[in-house]
Formats: sequence, structure tokens, C-alpha cells
Amino acid sequence: MTLASRFFRQPGSAHLDPILVGLWISLIILAALWIAPFIFIVFTSLKSAAEVMGSSAFSPPADYAWENYSAAWQRGNFTTASFNSIIITAIKVPLGLFLSAMAAYALACVRMRWRKLFFVVVLFGTMIPFQVMLAPIFRQVNAFGLINTYPGIILPYLAFGVPYQVFILHGFFSAVPRELSEAARIDGASHFVIFRRIFLPISLPVLAALFILDFVATWNEFAMALVILQDSDMWTLPLGLMAFQSQFQSNYGQLNAAIVMTVLPAVIVYLIFQRYFVAGLVSGAVKE
Amino acid sequence: MASVAIRGLKKAYGSVPVIHGVDIDIEDGEFVVLVGPSGCGKSTLLRMIAGLESISDGEITIDGRRVNDLEPKDRDIAMVFQNYALYPQMTVAQNMGFALELAGRRRAEIQAEIARAAEILSLTPLLDRKPAQLSGGQRQRVAIGRAIVRHPKVFLFDEPLSNLDAKLRVQMRSEIKALHRRLRATIVYVTHDQVEAMTMADRIVVMNGGRVEQIGQPLDLYDHPANLFVAQFIGSPAMNILPAVAVAPGQLRLSDGSVIAAPPGFPLRHGREIHYGLRPEDVRFGEGLPGHVIDVEPTGSETFLVVSVAGHEIMALAKERLMVAPGDPIQVALESPKAHLFDAKNGLRLRLPDAA
Ligand SMILES: Nc1ncnc2c1ncn2[C@@H]1O[C@H](COP(=O)(O)OP(=O)(O)O)[C@@H](O)[C@H]1O
Ligand SMILES: [Mg+2]
Repeated sequence: MTLASRFFRQPGSAHLDPILVGLWISLIILAALWIAPFIFIVFTSLKSAAEVMGSSAFSPPADYAWENYSAAWQRGNFTTASFNSIIITAIKVPLGLFLSAMAAYALACVRMRWRKLFFVVVLFGTMIPFQVMLAPIFRQVNAFGLINTYPGIILPYLAFGVPYQVFILHGFFSAVPRELSEAARIDGASHFVIFRRIFLPISLPVLAALFILDFVATWNEFAMALVILQDSDMWTLPLGLMAFQSQFQSNYGQLNAAIVMTVLPAVIVYLIFQRYFVAGLVSGAVKE
Repeated sequence: MASVAIRGLKKAYGSVPVIHGVDIDIEDGEFVVLVGPSGCGKSTLLRMIAGLESISDGEITIDGRRVNDLEPKDRDIAMVFQNYALYPQMTVAQNMGFALELAGRRRAEIQAEIARAAEILSLTPLLDRKPAQLSGGQRQRVAIGRAIVRHPKVFLFDEPLSNLDAKLRVQMRSEIKALHRRLRATIVYVTHDQVEAMTMADRIVVMNGGRVEQIGQPLDLYDHPANLFVAQFIGSPAMNILPAVAVAPGQLRLSDGSVIAAPPGFPLRHGREIHYGLRPEDVRFGEGLPGHVIDVEPTGSETFLVVSVAGHEIMALAKERLMVAPGDPIQVALESPKAHLFDAKNGLRLRLPDAA
């Protein structure tokens, strides 16, 4: 039995399973569709202007034009843009996740009046698409005098990121057997200790998943940043990229180098944290 | 170690009452088992002692100190849950040391307590494992270890053996009893399994529908049940209960019309309706009413028999080997000096006049 044909059988069966074969084929097609643009971008980013015109889109670069990267970095003023992106993402993502986790814990595990009502109010925040809110938010941020500042963009990001995360984490925390926090209460743990020592560790896979999603979303966010960060010194990478594109759109090599540099951090963060997706940390807490 | 006193305890969830006024006195070092059918309020009562449920009315004192408004951690109790509730990301040692760590005890002291508990429970080789790497019995022992490192005044157990298989259950039963002897601890233990209650308890509290039906030593409950509920709940297989009416002096008429002699000494008014209770081991064969065998279950040492007699199916337990098969006719003696009589209206057991 060859290695490949093993994937197409049910365990213990000698026959090819047509459904498995079909699933594998669709999987490969889907993967190819998703990867194709990346290959195009990476290849093009390493081609000189002449080679971009002269070769097919998916042919590998003949010699690597690394200078596309340094040129794009200079011309796009990426030093400032990546600094801004890093500051905003590095503050917003951990802070938002921490706030969401605390709120979700309170809503799931702390007995209090109006708990359901609070939860519904928070849920309401997940239902409003933020494009609808762009104009009111701009006025609000403007009224606070926060246009072109880090708080001016971080606060709305938090407001729109938290409800969704609270929703997810609330579901997860509610499923934690209540005996676990009761045992901790008897052991002398306060709510904060239960949160930090029990709930955060067992929800690491969920937190990692939310971290990745939020990191990528924040890193790539465009519309809100466009409205609130108007000064080019405050631009984030997506804004820098847009400006770069409108100025140098015929220079495909450098444009794609700029795209790669914009996307790369998100890819790296994804690769670092995806191993925490592996669940199973909760197994053994209680008998299933 | 400590005594626990429960006075007029009530609990309602919203407007739904689930505990209707319970009084229990637990002595220092006593092993008390709360037993009753599922949903009768055992866990609720235990959780009120632990401080995990609020008290609607009444009072709980531990060692003379009123604990109604104390946090669980300030009540000097430890609890073992049915589903173990181990902290999944911590090792066995960390699980056991958590309470001491939170209490701010010194590291060396914590290590010593963990080592001692692990020694008692044979957990020493497992101290660095995570709960997921343990078997059910080992997890339950860790949960017990987490309780004993703290030297609590009272141990609370909520159905700790229900998730274990039968063999392990019997083994853990004697381990917990041995632990009780060794620590001389006050233990309140909840179970729905009357065999567990009978074999482990110094005293049993039988609960039903949020009330205490009877409190007493295991064999006392078996020999002198206060009422029909206790009579049928304690003992396995359960006591046979036959409705009957008192006729001529000392005579009872069963529902099919057959007449048997009442146990001696009861002054029964003619026409009084009662329930006649007979334990399976008090049924005799070879004389008495005609009946036939429905089922035979020989266990080797004894024989369980289901017989049909006087219009009822009766469970009997014979010490000798009976060579009978289903369908065989058999003579069944229902009369016994050990039979119990219960009032048909309120279910209370009738007492002999001199004993009353
Ligand atoms: N949080 C709650 N809200 C409402 N009713 C409850 C709650 N917890 C328990 N009950 C009710 O209280 C009764 C006693 O429950 P419980 O103490 O768990 O019974 P047991 O442990 O004897 O099986 C049950 O009828 C149950 O439905
Ligand atoms: Mg229960």
C-alpha cells in the first residue's frame, strides 16, 4: 500500500473511499486557490521591473531582486508606518483580550444582579457593523480631540473588538464545570485568583485563537484607521501601502515587496500561536 | 476536629423550597452519611454546610461557631466532589498544595504536607503528573489529598465514588473508612447508595423530599425503621410491603382475602388499615400460603427467590440452597415475629405498647 493511497481508505478497509477521495481533491483545489495569490505576490516581489513584464506571473524569479524590499521600505516610509502599526497592535490586542476575558469571567461566573441584561447589552455590540458607525465615531473621537492620536484609534478598536471576544469567552467559561471554581473558592481563592490561576490557563487554546484573529484583524484594519489617522506620520501599514500603491502602482516588484512586508508579521504571529490551537488542555479536569 | 449542628435549616431557590427545615447534630469525629433518592436535597444541604449555597433560614454551627455568613474558606471545611474538580493545568502536587499556597504558608511546610498526604494516599510516585494522566481512582485520591493537606475541621464528600467502577468503589470505600479512623476526622458524606451508607456510616441521615426521615445507626435503621420510606429505602433487596386490614384479634387479612397472624403484641382495632412489612430474609418456605416461584437467582452462598403469593410478588432470600425452578408451586410463610406494621395513612411504623 502506498503512502498516498492510505489517505483514501477508511481505517481497516481495503477499498478506496470515494468520499475521502473527493474531500482530498476539494481540499487540494481549495488550498491551491488560496496559495496562488501568495505565490504570485512573493515571486513578483523578487523580480526586477524588466522581469515582471517579460516573464509569466507564476514563474519563479530568475535572480532575486532583494533591492525591491529596501526601496519599497524607503519610498513607502515604512519605518514610521510599521512603528505605528506595532504600537497600536501591541497595545490594543493584549489589552482588549484581557478586558474581554475579565468581562466574560464576570458575566459567566460572578453572581450579580442584571447579569443577563449586561450580557445582552454586550452582545448588542457584536451586531452593529462598524462601517455603519464610522461617521458617528469620527465625530465622537473628534469631539474628544483624539484625531491623529494612538488613543483615538485604540479606543474604538477596543469597543468593537471586545463584544465579540466576550461572546466567545463567555461560552467557553460557562462550560467550565462550576465545581472547579467552587473547589478553588473552598481552597481560599478570590475571584481574581480563580480567574488568573484556573480560568486563564485552561482557556489558553481559545485565548490563542482569539489573539491570532484579533492580531490579524487589527494589523490589517483599514477603514477606521483611514478615518481617524489622517496625518501621514500616524499612518499604519495598510494606509502606507495604499499610499504607496497610488504613487508607484506601475512598479510591480516594489509594490508586491511592500505587500509582503505588510502581511509578514501577521503570518509570523499566526505560525507562532497556532500550536496553542491544539486543545485538550481541559481534559482530565473532571470525569467526562 | 469539630462538631456540626444544623438547626431549622431551610433552602428555597426563588420561591421553590427544596429543604424544608432540617435538624442534624453531628458529633466530633463522627462519620455521618446523608442518604436519599436523587433530588432529595442532599447535595444542597452539603453545599450549604460548605458555604457554596446561601442559607434561606436556620443556622449552621461548626464547633459552636455560627458559620451562616462565613466564606467557604473561613469555615475550616474541605470538600471532595463527585467529578473530582481537579485543576487540569496543575500537577498532582500543585493541586494538593494550592490551598496552602493561597494561605501564604512557607514552601517547606507545603512540601511536607504534600508529602504526608501523598504517603497516606499512595500518590507519591504520581506527584508530578497532570490530572489527565491519572486513572479515575487516582484522581479521586488526589481530590481527597487536596482536602487532607489542609487539616480541616470537617470533610464534606458529595458522592465521591459514583464515577468509579464497582470494584474500585468497594476499595475506595474501605480506604475512606481507614482514612477516617486514622485522621479521626468529622466527615459528612453524601450518597444515594444505601449500601455505601450502611457500610461506611457511624450514623445515617435518611432524607426524602427535602426532609429528614430518620437519623440513626445503620443497623438501627434496618431493624427499627421509623416509617415506610426508610423501611423500603434501607436494605437491599427492599422490604416487601403488603397492604392489609386487621380482622379478628391478632389476624390480618391481605388484599386477596388470605388471613395471616399479626406479629404478637400489637393491639389492632378491627378494620384498621395497615401495611405489613417483611424483609426478604424473614420469608420462610415449606408451610403457609400456597404460591409459585417466578424467578430464582442463586448466588452460591444464598438464593434470591421471587415468588407470587397472596396476589403479590414477594422477594425472598433463603440461606439454604433451594432446588426449585420458575413455575414450581411453593408454600410461603409470611408470618414472622420480625415483621413490621405501618400505619396506612401516615406511613409511621407501629410500636409495641411497652416499647412506646
Ligand atoms: N440552582 C438550583 N436552582 C433551582 N433548583 C435547584 C438548584 N439546585 C438544585 N435544585 C433542586 O433542588 C433539589 C435538590 O437538589 P440536590 O440537592 O442536588 O439533590 P440530590 O443531591 O439529593 O440529588 C432538586 O429538586 C433540584 O432540582
Ligand atoms: Mg447530588
